[in-house]
Amino acid sequence: MHKYMSRIGLLVVIAFTAGCSSLGVEPWERDVLAKEEMQLVTDPVEAGIDDHIYFSKEASSGGRGFGGGGCGCN
Amino acid sequence: MTGSRPERGLRVRRRQDHVLAEFAAMGCPCEILVDTDDESAARELANVVAREAWRVEDKFSRYLPNSVVARINGSRGLPVLVDDETAGLLDFAACLYELSERRFDISCGALRRAWVFDGASRVPDQSLIDAILQTVGWQRLEWRRPSITLRPGMEIDLGGIGKEYAVDRAVALLAAQSSIACLVNFGGDLAVVGARRDTAGWQVGIEAPGSDGRRAHRLVHLGAGAMATSGDSRRYVEVDGRRLGHILDALTGWPVDSAPRSVTVAADTCTQAGSLATLAMLHGPNAENFLLDAGVKFWVVR
Amino acid sequence: MPRQDKTAIAASLASATCSLLGTPAATPVQAQEEPGWDLNTALLYYGENDDRVQDVSLNLQAIRNFVDDRLLTLGLAVDTLTGATPSGAIPFDGPQTFTRPSARSTYTTPPNTIPLDDSFLDTRVAVNASWQQPLGRLYSIGAGLSASNEYDYMHMGANLKLSRDFNKRNTTVSAGLAIAMDDLSPVGGAPIPLSQMLGEDDRSNKTGDQSKDVFDVVVGLTQVINRNLLVQANYSYSNSSGYLNDPYKILSVVDGTSGDPVPAAPVPGEDFPSHLYLYENRPDERTKHSAYGQAKYYLSGKVLDVSYRYMTDDWEIDSHTIDARLRWPMGDRSYLEPHLRYYTQTAADFYRISLVDGEPLPSYASADYRLGEFDAVTVGMKYGWKLASGHEMSVRLEYYMQDGDAPPGQVIGNQALQELYPDLDAIIAQFSYRFGW
Repeated sequence: MHKYMSRIGLLVVIAFTAGCSSLGVEPWERDVLAKEEMQLVTDPVEAGIDDHIYFSKEASSGGRGFGGGGCGCN
Repeated sequence: MTGSRPERGLRVRRRQDHVLAEFAAMGCPCEILVDTDDESAARELANVVAREAWRVEDKFSRYLPNSVVARINGSRGLPVLVDDETAGLLDFAACLYELSERRFDISCGALRRAWVFDGASRVPDQSLIDAILQTVGWQRLEWRRPSITLRPGMEIDLGGIGKEYAVDRAVALLAAQSSIACLVNFGGDLAVVGARRDTAGWQVGIEAPGSDGRRAHRLVHLGAGAMATSGDSRRYVEVDGRRLGHILDALTGWPVDSAPRSVTVAADTCTQAGSLATLAMLHGPNAENFLLDAGVKFWVVR
Repeated sequence: MPRQDKTAIAASLASATCSLLGTPAATPVQAQEEPGWDLNTALLYYGENDDRVQDVSLNLQAIRNFVDDRLLTLGLAVDTLTGATPSGAIPFDGPQTFTRPSARSTYTTPPNTIPLDDSFLDTRVAVNASWQQPLGRLYSIGAGLSASNEYDYMHMGANLKLSRDFNKRNTTVSAGLAIAMDDLSPVGGAPIPLSQMLGEDDRSNKTGDQSKDVFDVVVGLTQVINRNLLVQANYSYSNSSGYLNDPYKILSVVDGTSGDPVPAAPVPGEDFPSHLYLYENRPDERTKHSAYGQAKYYLSGKVLDVSYRYMTDDWEIDSHTIDARLRWPMGDRSYLEPHLRYYTQTAADFYRISLVDGEPLPSYASADYRLGEFDAVTVGMKYGWKLASGHEMSVRLEYYMQDGDAPPGQVIGNQALQELYPDLDAIIAQFSYRFGW
């Protein structure tokens, strides 16, 4: 069952990536995407602070990228 | 640029520390930033700039039936007498023809019949290109001031230098009219004039295409002079996965191979900046070396 | 094109332009690419309810843009932590005395309150550096180092990331891995797991330094959907091994009927804890899987940022996080950004609110509330503005509330009369200043 799940999962990822070729914009249509506030992480310092707070108070961490430096709290 | 005339209106509004005037000309959005709080003074200066832009467009656009260029292109082999201003532009075109070793050629206009730069993969037949190349070439026309004679079927197009020229003309008129600092921007070709009241210059953003997370903007602080960009962001053909820009090499009839995606140059005048950007593009893979030797500030995106 | 004398070209062009325009340029060009350094500083205050943890921290990040999208990022964070934190002991209708981690003294907590250990005082310094650059036209590569130090904990880490663009840069696939090696030197020494908390100056059940290693892998996909919508999906795997315990956390041993802590047999001549407390023990390995998705949507000037994360691990903890932010521009130069976050987690399978006297000891047990079952909500507001100089400032105020419950099956006797889970309320206040230099 587990093996089927991972194969299906891989197929979904490949299909999604292949399907992605029809999505998107032309290079000259990136005006909105180029805006500061449309970046995936608009404020890396604030994101780092929040990650650290929630890492210290909850059992989960990261998601975006890495834990980015440990501390003696979890 | 389309055949239909966009509305010739001027829109003026106040910004935090300057007044912004916008209009359309030469197929692109144009703007003037005036370093003042006086909206009516700004409007007056904006009118000067807009009228000059429309004047240059009316006179030199190959798409407008009454322009000088249209008249020259319709001359069917007969000599055409031109005025001093047109003569100046033709002399400049001749200079660029030499400096680019014949790769920049305003008589390339006819190649437009072969190439459509809409991002598709339509590559014209080599035979068509060869046929057109027979009619293209500055060496095939006769330019002896004040008379120009094209061979039948030849066409000239001042699109490669007209916008930058218009910017420089507009800036000269502004300088003669007032001492208020302004920035004139015709679709990315821009120049500044005067000294600002509170800050040292203007902030110009250059867009460098990048995927998310990478800074897509560079900010350039322009205190004096001009900047122009030559690039393929809107017009290109994709062949075998390779992007070919819209800058045509007049010697081969094809877009320049391995040209950068865009080149932005800062120089004393917009005409120089634009010419250097175009010449750099024509250098293809050596664009950066060319600009380094030219000793100007530049930004190349590949 | 064969090499001509290129400076001659520039000179010829200059004179040709002069002829064309009729006059030489009034002033030579002055164009300067804006600041090489992008500096982002933030001052943070974090304060919990009831004399619990307070943190004041200063964060700095400097990014240097080089030509061709090459980036150097340097970061520094300094935190000063004070305040008390729940030790894991269970509250009951009487005072309790505990030995401090240093074993140099004891402290007593009042009845009917969750015991807090206030020996928690620390300054933490963390630094990181990373480099990112394009590799050819479509690839981007990055590498980084991180290190942090506090009184009882040291961290060192390295990370690597590779990305590739597809479909005219509309799709980006990236993969990264990170390793960390942490060393712990707990105050007084790491206690032998599930051993009893002893009295003052008794370090017989304390050992020395410990270490832990963490290995993370992340794979992600970023996709431009249309001009206004960008989405990202990530999967991450994390494996920690080594000493995963919190050396200061304990569990109360309680009577199986009343639920009250069992008094300790005092050792003559020693200041001894009042009741029987055992140090916690967690497995020495933890594997986590997370799936994360984020979307950024631009709608007439406003930007909506929504993300969801699901985490599951082999400690039986499952969590869901939903985070939403809306950036609302106000005029040309400022914005308001409300923020809402919802978090919920299930308890670790070895989470115990207390241990029952006489029952066999489990292999693993912890009363650390952070491994329990709880919901948490963050509501916040941020206001940002841009100065005429281009510098940016922002302030944000957030309220974090954590609300948990002891697993009903674990509540014994009198424990039902107590507030067993140390609900948390915290204020997050931050001032940030961003400028180029």
